[in-house]
Amino acid sequence: MALPQLDPLDTQLVDMLARDARVSNRRMAAELGVTEGTVRGRIKRLQQDGLIAFTAITGFQLERRDRLAFINVQAEVDRVREIAGVIADIPSVNAVLITMGQFNITAMCLIDDLDSLVELASDNILAIKGVHHVETSIAVKTIKYNARMAKITKPKVILEDD
Amino acid sequence: MKPTFEERKAVRRQSPTAGATFDATDVSIIRELRANGRANNQQIAERLGLTATTVSTRIRRMEDANQLRVVAVSDFSAHGFNVLLRISVSIDGRPASDVAHELAALPEVVAAHLVTGGYDIDMLVALHDFDDLAGFLLDKLSGVHGIRTLSPAIVVDIIKYQFDVAPIEGKA
Repeated sequence: MALPQLDPLDTQLVDMLARDARVSNRRMAAELGVTEGTVRGRIKRLQQDGLIAFTAITGFQLERRDRLAFINVQAEVDRVREIAGVIADIPSVNAVLITMGQFNITAMCLIDDLDSLVELASDNILAIKGVHHVETSIAVKTIKYNARMAKITKPKVILEDD
Repeated sequence: MKPTFEERKAVRRQSPTAGATFDATDVSIIRELRANGRANNQQIAERLGLTATTVSTRIRRMEDANQLRVVAVSDFSAHGFNVLLRISVSIDGRPASDVAHELAALPEVVAAHLVTGGYDIDMLVALHDFDDLAGFLLDKLSGVHGIRTLSPAIVVDIIKYQFDVAPIEGKA
Protein backbone atom coordinates (compact mmCIF):
# COMPACT_ATOMS: atom_id res chain seq x y z
CA MET A 1 0.00 0.00 0.00
CA ALA A 2 1.50 3.26 -1.10
CA LEU A 3 1.40 5.97 1.49
CA PRO A 4 0.97 9.66 0.83
CA GLN A 5 4.32 11.37 0.83
CA LEU A 6 3.14 14.41 2.77
CA ASP A 7 3.02 14.61 6.54
CA PRO A 8 0.35 16.77 8.23
CA LEU A 9 2.52 19.91 8.24
CA ASP A 10 3.40 19.42 4.55
CA THR A 11 -0.29 19.02 3.78
CA GLN A 12 -1.13 22.28 5.54
CA LEU A 13 1.64 24.10 3.68
CA VAL A 14 0.58 22.65 0.32
CA ASP A 15 -3.05 23.62 0.99
CA MET A 16 -2.07 27.21 1.77
CA LEU A 17 0.23 27.45 -1.23
CA ALA A 18 -2.38 25.87 -3.51
CA ARG A 19 -4.76 28.70 -2.66
CA ASP A 20 -2.16 31.42 -3.11
CA ALA A 21 1.49 30.68 -3.70
CA ARG A 22 2.43 34.29 -2.98
CA VAL A 23 1.77 34.06 0.74
CA SER A 24 4.95 34.91 2.65
CA ASN A 25 6.95 32.38 4.66
CA ARG A 26 6.45 34.63 7.67
CA ARG A 27 2.67 34.47 7.42
CA MET A 28 2.62 30.72 6.89
CA ALA A 29 4.95 30.26 9.86
CA ALA A 30 2.72 32.42 12.05
CA GLU A 31 -0.47 30.63 11.00
CA LEU A 32 0.98 27.17 11.46
CA GLY A 33 2.93 27.91 14.62
CA VAL A 34 6.35 26.95 13.26
CA THR A 35 9.49 28.93 12.44
CA GLU A 36 10.11 30.62 9.11
CA GLY A 37 13.15 28.37 8.72
CA THR A 38 10.93 25.30 8.95
CA VAL A 39 8.56 26.69 6.32
CA ARG A 40 11.46 27.54 4.01
CA GLY A 41 13.07 24.13 4.46
CA ARG A 42 9.83 22.24 3.89
CA ILE A 43 9.01 24.14 0.70
CA LYS A 44 12.49 23.57 -0.63
CA ARG A 45 12.28 19.82 0.06
CA LEU A 46 8.80 19.52 -1.50
CA GLN A 47 10.12 21.19 -4.64
CA GLN A 48 13.28 19.12 -4.73
CA ASP A 49 11.28 15.90 -4.40
CA GLY A 50 9.08 16.96 -7.31
CA LEU A 51 5.97 16.94 -5.14
CA ILE A 52 5.04 20.56 -5.76
CA ALA A 53 5.83 23.22 -8.33
CA PHE A 54 4.78 26.83 -8.50
CA THR A 55 3.07 28.26 -11.50
CA ALA A 56 0.86 31.07 -12.67
CA ILE A 57 -2.43 29.80 -14.06
CA THR A 58 -4.19 32.24 -16.35
CA GLY A 59 -7.84 32.29 -17.30
CA PHE A 60 -9.11 32.03 -20.84
CA GLN A 61 -9.60 35.78 -21.18
CA LEU A 62 -5.84 36.17 -21.58
CA GLU A 63 -5.60 33.48 -24.22
CA ARG A 64 -7.76 32.36 -27.00
CA ARG A 65 -6.82 28.70 -26.75
CA ASP A 66 -9.73 27.73 -24.59
CA ARG A 67 -10.81 24.32 -25.88
CA LEU A 68 -9.36 21.12 -24.53
CA ALA A 69 -8.90 18.43 -27.15
CA PHE A 70 -7.78 14.83 -26.86
CA ILE A 71 -5.77 13.16 -29.57
CA ASN A 72 -5.85 9.40 -29.12
CA VAL A 73 -2.98 7.67 -30.85
CA GLN A 74 -2.30 4.09 -31.84
CA ALA A 75 1.44 3.82 -32.15
CA GLU A 76 3.75 0.94 -32.85
CA VAL A 77 4.02 -0.94 -29.56
CA ASP A 78 7.79 -1.31 -29.44
CA ARG A 79 8.33 2.40 -30.10
CA VAL A 80 5.69 3.91 -27.84
CA ARG A 81 8.04 5.77 -25.53
CA GLU A 82 10.06 7.23 -28.38
CA ILE A 83 6.93 8.34 -30.26
CA ALA A 84 5.41 9.81 -27.08
CA GLY A 85 8.63 11.82 -26.67
CA VAL A 86 8.35 13.17 -30.22
CA ILE A 87 4.73 14.22 -29.57
CA ALA A 88 5.69 15.81 -26.25
CA ASP A 89 8.25 17.95 -28.09
CA ILE A 90 5.47 19.65 -30.07
CA PRO A 91 5.07 22.96 -28.21
CA SER A 92 1.29 23.19 -28.57
CA VAL A 93 0.79 19.78 -26.93
CA ASN A 94 0.08 20.25 -23.22
CA ALA A 95 0.10 16.67 -22.02
CA VAL A 96 1.20 13.26 -23.23
CA LEU A 97 0.16 10.07 -21.46
CA ILE A 98 1.27 6.56 -22.29
CA THR A 99 -1.71 4.31 -21.71
CA MET A 100 -2.67 0.67 -21.88
CA GLY A 101 -6.01 0.37 -23.59
CA GLN A 102 -7.52 0.85 -27.01
CA PHE A 103 -4.93 3.55 -27.68
CA ASN A 104 -1.41 3.62 -26.34
CA ILE A 105 -0.78 7.35 -26.33
CA THR A 106 -3.10 10.20 -25.39
CA ALA A 107 -2.08 13.74 -26.24
CA MET A 108 -4.02 16.65 -24.79
CA CYS A 109 -3.91 20.16 -26.10
CA LEU A 110 -5.66 23.49 -25.84
CA ILE A 111 -6.85 24.75 -29.19
CA ASP A 112 -8.43 27.91 -30.50
CA ASP A 113 -10.07 26.48 -33.60
CA LEU A 114 -10.62 23.23 -35.48
CA ASP A 115 -7.93 24.02 -38.04
CA SER A 116 -5.25 23.95 -35.38
CA LEU A 117 -6.50 20.55 -34.16
CA VAL A 118 -6.52 19.11 -37.68
CA GLU A 119 -3.03 20.46 -38.25
CA LEU A 120 -1.77 18.95 -35.01
CA ALA A 121 -3.50 15.57 -35.32
CA SER A 122 -3.25 14.90 -39.04
CA ASP A 123 -0.30 16.92 -40.25
CA ASN A 124 1.99 16.58 -37.24
CA ILE A 125 1.15 13.51 -35.18
CA LEU A 126 -0.15 11.13 -37.86
CA ALA A 127 2.95 11.94 -39.91
CA ILE A 128 5.28 10.60 -37.22
CA LYS A 129 6.83 7.29 -38.24
CA GLY A 130 5.23 4.45 -36.28
CA VAL A 131 1.91 6.23 -35.69
CA HIS A 132 -0.81 4.08 -37.24
CA HIS A 133 -4.00 5.86 -36.33
CA VAL A 134 -5.27 8.96 -34.55
CA GLU A 135 -8.70 9.89 -33.29
CA THR A 136 -9.63 13.28 -31.92
CA SER A 137 -12.24 14.33 -29.47
CA ILE A 138 -13.02 17.79 -28.15
CA ALA A 139 -14.18 18.64 -24.66
CA VAL A 140 -17.36 20.62 -25.24
CA LYS A 141 -17.93 21.18 -21.54
CA THR A 142 -15.70 20.65 -18.55
CA ILE A 143 -17.62 19.39 -15.55
CA LYS A 144 -14.69 18.94 -13.19
CA TYR A 145 -11.08 19.95 -13.42
CA ASN A 146 -8.51 20.58 -10.74
CA ALA A 147 -5.60 22.64 -12.03
CA ARG A 148 -3.86 22.32 -8.69
CA MET A 149 -3.14 18.63 -9.02
CA ALA A 150 -0.99 17.44 -11.87
CA LYS A 151 1.98 15.38 -12.81
CA ILE A 152 5.15 17.34 -12.16
CA THR A 153 7.33 16.13 -14.97
CA LYS A 154 10.29 18.44 -14.93
CA PRO A 155 12.26 19.84 -12.06
CA LYS A 156 11.47 23.50 -11.62
CA VAL A 157 14.03 26.02 -10.51
CA ILE A 158 14.59 25.62 -6.79
CA LEU A 159 13.94 28.84 -4.93
CA GLU A 160 16.65 30.91 -3.40
CA ASP A 161 16.15 31.61 0.26
CA ASP A 162 13.90 34.60 0.80
CA MET B 1 12.41 43.64 -20.15
CA LYS B 2 10.31 44.79 -23.10
CA PRO B 3 7.18 42.82 -23.98
CA THR B 4 7.80 40.26 -26.70
CA PHE B 5 5.89 40.09 -29.93
CA GLU B 6 3.82 37.18 -28.59
CA GLU B 7 2.89 39.23 -25.56
CA ARG B 8 1.73 42.17 -27.62
CA LYS B 9 -0.21 39.76 -29.81
CA ALA B 10 -1.84 38.24 -26.73
CA VAL B 11 -2.96 41.68 -25.70
CA ARG B 12 -4.50 42.41 -29.08
CA ARG B 13 -6.42 39.13 -28.83
CA GLN B 14 -8.49 40.27 -25.91
CA SER B 15 -12.15 39.82 -26.33
CA PRO B 16 -13.98 43.14 -26.62
CA THR B 17 -16.57 41.77 -24.23
CA ALA B 18 -13.96 41.07 -21.57
CA GLY B 19 -14.74 42.53 -18.19
CA ALA B 20 -11.21 43.71 -17.64
CA THR B 21 -8.41 44.54 -20.01
CA PHE B 22 -4.84 43.37 -19.76
CA ASP B 23 -1.89 45.14 -21.24
CA ALA B 24 1.70 44.21 -22.05
CA THR B 25 2.79 45.00 -18.48
CA ASP B 26 0.31 42.45 -17.13
CA VAL B 27 1.55 39.86 -19.58
CA SER B 28 5.19 40.48 -18.64
CA ILE B 29 4.31 40.11 -14.94
CA ILE B 30 2.66 36.76 -15.74
CA ARG B 31 5.81 35.68 -17.55
CA GLU B 32 7.87 36.44 -14.44
CA LEU B 33 5.41 34.58 -12.23
CA ARG B 34 5.51 31.53 -14.50
CA ALA B 35 9.29 31.47 -14.11
CA ASN B 36 9.10 31.87 -10.34
CA GLY B 37 5.70 32.04 -8.70
CA ARG B 38 7.26 32.79 -5.32
CA ALA B 39 9.23 35.85 -6.45
CA ASN B 40 8.16 38.79 -4.31
CA ASN B 41 6.77 42.02 -5.76
CA GLN B 42 10.08 43.82 -5.31
CA GLN B 43 12.02 41.17 -7.26
CA ILE B 44 9.51 41.25 -10.10
CA ALA B 45 9.49 45.05 -10.09
CA GLU B 46 13.27 45.20 -10.39
CA ARG B 47 13.34 42.77 -13.30
CA LEU B 48 10.69 44.68 -15.23
CA GLY B 49 11.65 48.24 -14.29
CA LEU B 50 8.39 48.85 -12.43
CA THR B 51 7.58 49.77 -8.84
CA ALA B 52 6.60 47.09 -6.34
CA THR B 53 3.27 48.88 -5.87
CA THR B 54 2.48 48.60 -9.57
CA VAL B 55 3.32 44.90 -9.55
CA SER B 56 1.16 44.31 -6.49
CA THR B 57 -1.77 46.28 -7.93
CA ARG B 58 -1.59 44.54 -11.28
CA ILE B 59 -1.47 41.06 -9.74
CA ARG B 60 -4.41 41.82 -7.47
CA ARG B 61 -6.43 43.22 -10.36
CA MET B 62 -5.90 40.12 -12.48
CA GLU B 63 -6.72 37.88 -9.52
CA ASP B 64 -9.90 39.83 -8.80
CA ALA B 65 -10.93 39.44 -12.44
CA ASN B 66 -10.48 35.64 -12.03
CA GLN B 67 -7.83 35.67 -14.74
CA LEU B 68 -4.81 34.80 -12.65
CA ARG B 69 -3.94 32.46 -9.81
CA VAL B 70 -0.40 31.90 -8.64
CA VAL B 71 -0.55 28.51 -7.04
CA ALA B 72 1.40 25.50 -5.90
CA VAL B 73 0.56 22.55 -8.08
CA SER B 74 1.06 19.24 -6.33
CA ASP B 75 1.91 15.93 -7.88
CA PHE B 76 -0.66 13.12 -7.94
CA SER B 77 1.82 11.02 -5.95
CA ALA B 78 2.03 13.66 -3.22
CA HIS B 79 -1.58 12.81 -2.46
CA GLY B 80 -0.85 9.09 -2.56
CA PHE B 81 -2.50 8.59 -5.95
CA ASN B 82 -0.37 5.99 -7.66
CA VAL B 83 -2.88 4.67 -10.18
CA LEU B 84 -4.34 6.91 -12.87
CA LEU B 85 -7.00 5.76 -15.27
CA ARG B 86 -8.48 7.51 -18.19
CA ILE B 87 -12.01 6.23 -18.66
CA SER B 88 -14.13 6.99 -21.70
CA VAL B 89 -17.83 6.60 -21.02
CA SER B 90 -20.73 6.25 -23.40
CA ILE B 91 -24.17 6.85 -22.02
CA ASP B 92 -27.66 5.71 -22.81
CA GLY B 93 -31.09 6.88 -21.77
CA ARG B 94 -29.98 9.81 -19.64
CA PRO B 95 -28.58 13.27 -20.45
CA ALA B 96 -24.78 13.14 -20.65
CA SER B 97 -24.37 16.17 -18.42
CA ASP B 98 -26.44 14.52 -15.66
CA VAL B 99 -24.24 11.44 -15.77
CA ALA B 100 -21.09 13.59 -15.90
CA HIS B 101 -22.15 15.61 -12.86
CA GLU B 102 -22.84 12.44 -10.90
CA LEU B 103 -19.46 11.01 -11.90
CA ALA B 104 -17.71 14.30 -11.08
CA ALA B 105 -19.11 14.11 -7.56
CA LEU B 106 -17.04 10.97 -6.91
CA PRO B 107 -13.80 11.97 -5.17
CA GLU B 108 -11.79 9.51 -7.29
CA VAL B 109 -12.80 11.38 -10.45
CA VAL B 110 -10.29 14.21 -10.74
CA ALA B 111 -11.44 15.49 -14.13
CA ALA B 112 -14.57 15.00 -16.21
CA HIS B 113 -15.42 16.47 -19.60
CA LEU B 114 -18.29 16.12 -22.03
CA VAL B 115 -16.64 15.26 -25.34
CA THR B 116 -17.32 14.84 -29.02
CA GLY B 117 -16.40 11.63 -30.81
CA GLY B 118 -17.06 7.98 -30.10
CA TYR B 119 -17.75 8.51 -26.40
CA ASP B 120 -19.76 11.03 -24.43
CA ILE B 121 -17.69 11.59 -21.31
CA ASP B 122 -13.97 11.50 -20.76
CA MET B 123 -12.70 11.31 -17.22
CA LEU B 124 -9.47 10.97 -15.31
CA VAL B 125 -9.63 8.79 -12.23
CA ALA B 126 -6.98 8.70 -9.50
CA LEU B 127 -6.74 5.77 -7.10
CA HIS B 128 -4.31 5.02 -4.31
CA ASP B 129 -3.51 1.56 -5.68
CA PHE B 130 -4.94 -1.27 -7.74
CA ASP B 131 -6.73 -2.72 -4.71
CA ASP B 132 -9.10 0.25 -4.95
CA LEU B 133 -10.04 -0.57 -8.53
CA ALA B 134 -12.66 -3.24 -7.82
CA GLY B 135 -14.46 -1.07 -5.29
CA PHE B 136 -14.46 1.90 -7.61
CA LEU B 137 -15.67 0.01 -10.68
CA LEU B 138 -18.09 -2.38 -9.02
CA ASP B 139 -19.50 -0.36 -6.14
CA LYS B 140 -19.29 3.24 -7.28
CA LEU B 141 -19.50 3.37 -11.09
CA SER B 142 -22.11 0.63 -11.27
CA GLY B 143 -24.34 2.78 -9.07
CA VAL B 144 -24.41 5.56 -11.67
CA HIS B 145 -27.38 5.16 -13.99
CA GLY B 146 -27.16 5.79 -17.69
CA ILE B 147 -23.69 4.35 -18.32
CA ARG B 148 -23.74 2.11 -21.37
CA THR B 149 -20.06 1.25 -21.77
CA LEU B 150 -16.80 2.09 -20.06
CA SER B 151 -13.54 2.05 -21.93
CA PRO B 152 -10.71 2.32 -19.43
CA ALA B 153 -7.07 2.94 -20.20
CA ILE B 154 -4.41 2.58 -17.54
CA VAL B 155 -1.98 5.49 -17.53
CA VAL B 156 1.41 3.80 -17.43
CA ASP B 157 3.55 6.91 -17.80
CA ILE B 158 3.14 10.65 -18.11
CA ILE B 159 5.66 12.18 -20.47
CA LYS B 160 4.38 15.74 -20.34
CA TYR B 161 1.76 17.53 -18.28
CA GLN B 162 1.76 21.28 -18.60
CA PHE B 163 -1.45 23.18 -18.20
CA ASP B 164 -0.96 26.80 -17.32
CA VAL B 165 -4.25 27.92 -18.81
CA ALA B 166 -7.37 26.70 -17.04
CA PRO B 167 -10.85 27.72 -16.05
CA ILE B 168 -10.49 29.79 -12.88
CA GLU B 169 -13.20 29.60 -10.30
CA GLY B 170 -13.99 32.61 -8.14
CA LYS B 171 -12.34 32.90 -4.77
CA ALA B 172 -14.46 31.32 -2.06
